[in-house]
Formats: sequence, C-alpha cells, structure tokens
Amino acid sequence: MSMAAPLTYTLEKRDNDNFTLNLGPQHPGTHGVLRVVLQMDGEYILHADPVLGYGHRMQEKIAENMTYLQCLPYVCRMDYLGAMSYNLAWVCAVERLCGFEVPERAEHIRVIATELNRMASHLLWWGAYLLDLGAFTPFLQAFTDREQILDILEYLTGSRLTYCYFRFGGLPDEVDDVFLERTMSFVNGFRKRLKNYHDLVTGNVIFHHRSKDVGVILPFDAAAYGLTGPILRGSGFAYDVRKQEPYAAYERFDFIVPTETSGDCLARYNVRMEEFVQSMNIIEQAVNTIPEGPVRSKVPKTIKPPRGEVAMAVETPRGELVIYIVSDGSKKPYRVKFRVPSFANLSVFARLARGQLLADALAILGSLDMVIPEVDR
Amino acid sequence: MQGSNRLEKALAEAGIEYRPTEFPNTGLHCSLSLGPDLVRPLATALRSNGFFIETVTAVDLLQENRFEGIYLFNHYDDPLRLLVRVPVERSRPVLPSIGGIFPGAVWHERETAEMFGITFQDCPDSRNLLLPEDADYHPLRKDFTGRS
Repeated sequence: MSMAAPLTYTLEKRDNDNFTLNLGPQHPGTHGVLRVVLQMDGEYILHADPVLGYGHRMQEKIAENMTYLQCLPYVCRMDYLGAMSYNLAWVCAVERLCGFEVPERAEHIRVIATELNRMASHLLWWGAYLLDLGAFTPFLQAFTDREQILDILEYLTGSRLTYCYFRFGGLPDEVDDVFLERTMSFVNGFRKRLKNYHDLVTGNVIFHHRSKDVGVILPFDAAAYGLTGPILRGSGFAYDVRKQEPYAAYERFDFIVPTETSGDCLARYNVRMEEFVQSMNIIEQAVNTIPEGPVRSKVPKTIKPPRGEVAMAVETPRGELVIYIVSDGSKKPYRVKFRVPSFANLSVFARLARGQLLADALAILGSLDMVIPEVDR
Repeated sequence: MQGSNRLEKALAEAGIEYRPTEFPNTGLHCSLSLGPDLVRPLATALRSNGFFIETVTAVDLLQENRFEGIYLFNHYDDPLRLLVRVPVERSRPVLPSIGGIFPGAVWHERETAEMFGITFQDCPDSRNLLLPEDADYHPLRKDFTGRS
C-alpha cells in the first residue's frame, strides 16, 4: 500500500491555483477608494485591472457651471494633500488667461506656501509608504513633523488641508513676520530631523530588500504612459515643471532637480527624500530675498476673461498638473480640463504589477504616491 | 533653438507644417488643427522623437454642431507643449485611438469616450472608466443637464 501525501499538501502547481482577488475599494493599501481586480497565480499577480470612479464627482462639469472665482475653493478638493499647488494652478491659469500681473512679494509667499505643502505631502507619503512595508514608527515620526507644517499653514491660510489662499492677482492679505519666522525655525529644525529619517530607514537592510529592483519603470515606458513627478525622475528624466516652464517666482531660485536612474521603488524613495532638501533650499532663498511691497495687484471684481484657451502647468507633489481652460468670453469657463498627475501615474500600475508578489504590488502602489480623489475627480 | 527643432522634425515626419504659438499667453508652444487621419501618423512620429502624452480630451461646441478632440503632448527634455485639435461632426463622433502608440492614452480615451460619447476607433479597451459600468449618458456634453 502506498503512503502518498494527501493532495492538499502537495506543492505541485495545478491549473485551479489561479483565482481572482478583489483588492479594495476599502483597503488600507490602496490609500483611498481604489479597487483593483487581480488575477492571481498563487501569490503572484498575472493581471491587474484597476477600477476607478468610486470618488468621481464630475468636477469638470461643476467647474463649467461656476464662475472663475466660485471654482477657486473647489479645485483644492482634488488633491487634498497638495492642495496649495492646485490653488496656485487655478489662479495662475486665470491670471494667464486675463493677463493679470502679480506683485513680487506675493509670488515669494506663493512659493513658500507651496513648498511647505509639498514637504507636508512628501512627509505623509514617507510615513504611509513605510507603513505599507510594515514599519510603524516612521509614520508617527512623519506625522509629528507634518503637524508643524500644518500649524504654520493654518496660521497663514486658516485651514489645515484644503487651502483656498491665493487670489487672482496675488494674496488676500499682507503676511506678517511671524509666519516667516515660524517657517524658518521649522526648516532649521527639519534639516536635523531629516538626518534621523535617513538613519532610521534609508540604510535599513529590510527596507532595501523590499524596495530595490521592485516595480522598475523603464524610461521607454515613462513617455508612453505620460508619467511625471518623482516617479519619472526616479527613471532618469530631469523633468520638473518648476524648471522647464517656471511659474510664480521659481526661476529666481537656485535648486536642482534630483534624479535616480534605477527606476525602482528605492529610486523613487531617494528622489523624494532629496526633494525635501531642495524644497528647504527654495524656502530659505524665498524668505531671505522676500521684497517689501504690495501683495495684490488691482484686478476687476468680476472676472471676465477674453475668448481663447490657456494651458497652465504646475508641478504638484505628485507630478505635472495641467489646467486647460477654454473661455468663451463669459463669466464662466466654457470647458475646463484637469490633467492630473495621479491619473497618468496610476495607469502604469497594471504593467508594473504583472508577475509581482501581492505584497510587492502594494509596495509599488505606495511608492507611486497616489491620491485617489485626484484620480477620480 | 534646439528644442523647437525636435518638434519641427517630428511634425515633418508626419508631413505637417510647424507654426509656433506664443507661449506666455497660452501655455502652449504649438497649436494645430488636423484631420482625423493625420492623428496616428503624428502620434507615431512624436513617440519616436521622445514626446510624452499629457492628455486626450474633447470640447463640445454645441453651437457649431461639432466636437473638438484635444490631444496634448509634451517633451521631457524641452518644454514643447503641443496641442492637436481634431474637429469631428457631432452626429458621427469618431476619433482614431492612439492607445496602440501611447498605452497611457487608453485611460484618457476611455474617459473622453464616456464623458462625450465619442467612439475611439480601435481603442484596446472601451469600457467605462470613471462612470458606472452601465452608464449610457455623457455628462460633459453641453446638452446634458442631469435631469431625466
């Protein structure tokens, strides 16, 4: 009599090992209401199919039914982590359409606020990404520092997340020295704490095993999927809208665009960590060279741009945001298109996930730094 | 002016004349109006010259009874935003898909298709993207009010 092991214990691969796994829409690893239908072979992914639209609000249609000013507080609801960039993009787009001037002092404050917001967004990404990989402490560390930025921005704008601060032609109000002092004291402190971040995580062996050579984006794919932001810069392209098409006052400041060439999760990590330093450099220069003067130019009460079209690109923490407005000369935009970075960046996920372990796919999703309400709009 | 040469070269490959637009006023470096049959040759030329896809969308010109398909491209090394405008009849809205050339365009085309009711010919995936899978209305059309 043979003593074969029961079939359930065999490691032999069989056809019915393939199954469909429904990830999300409510899953902490997807960072929002994203659903991914996965065809699995054991623990490996054969095919990933993202299902979007759970947070779809038809913002482009809503914008068509609002005046330019009414739309201002609403654009920030897309990317709630980088709301300042959206705020900036909308005011810059309308300013470009109408030909409004912005005083220099206001431009400096705009840059400071946007870079602070970028740091807050990267801090949240840093904590959440490492949480995805199973490390809990970094999350608490990151939130301690992020809280300080939110306090500063709350002092400046009155809100903590979905800012509506910039106005057409400048800022709503004069900015006092307390804001600049608090910003500088945060930057000085954060330079020291960033070293702790590196000590805690960057050289960690387990972290390297989880992120090196995982989710490699090839340079060839980057253009095909229209990737932008830190994800693209991890694959060797030095594309940054702040350098390529400077808006606000970015051409006045000296900073570099950090890049990596390996294109994996570790490369994207390194790019974002270096962007902290660059953001701090920009903030320091902007604070040190801030001119005196008015913060708002004279603009008409009713915004009625001429007929025409305008595209305004802004570098958000996640990549290139393009706001395309078609104006028919009335008080409301005829057509608004938000080209959001997360949307294009998520579209490459299906390609990256193929053949990966499920746990690695979640790490890849974390390294792409998605904001799902921005994808869905 | 090495930058604009790239665009000039790509456009020449597709047999299109290069005419720059004024960047500071529009945010665009070049704006073109093309027939649907020129979209794919142009996309192929742009792809081989290192351009990336920014977005695909449309504008509903209800009064003129047509749609305008909008394709936005840009280049990673030089700021060269290119807007391609493709007018189509509102009664027979069909545009060529460039999903085979730029795989990232598929999602943009799916979104444009469901929002405007425009068919993208040979698009590898024609399911709804953001709207419910059984949605048969097209919200971004100007005559859509949301009332039934």
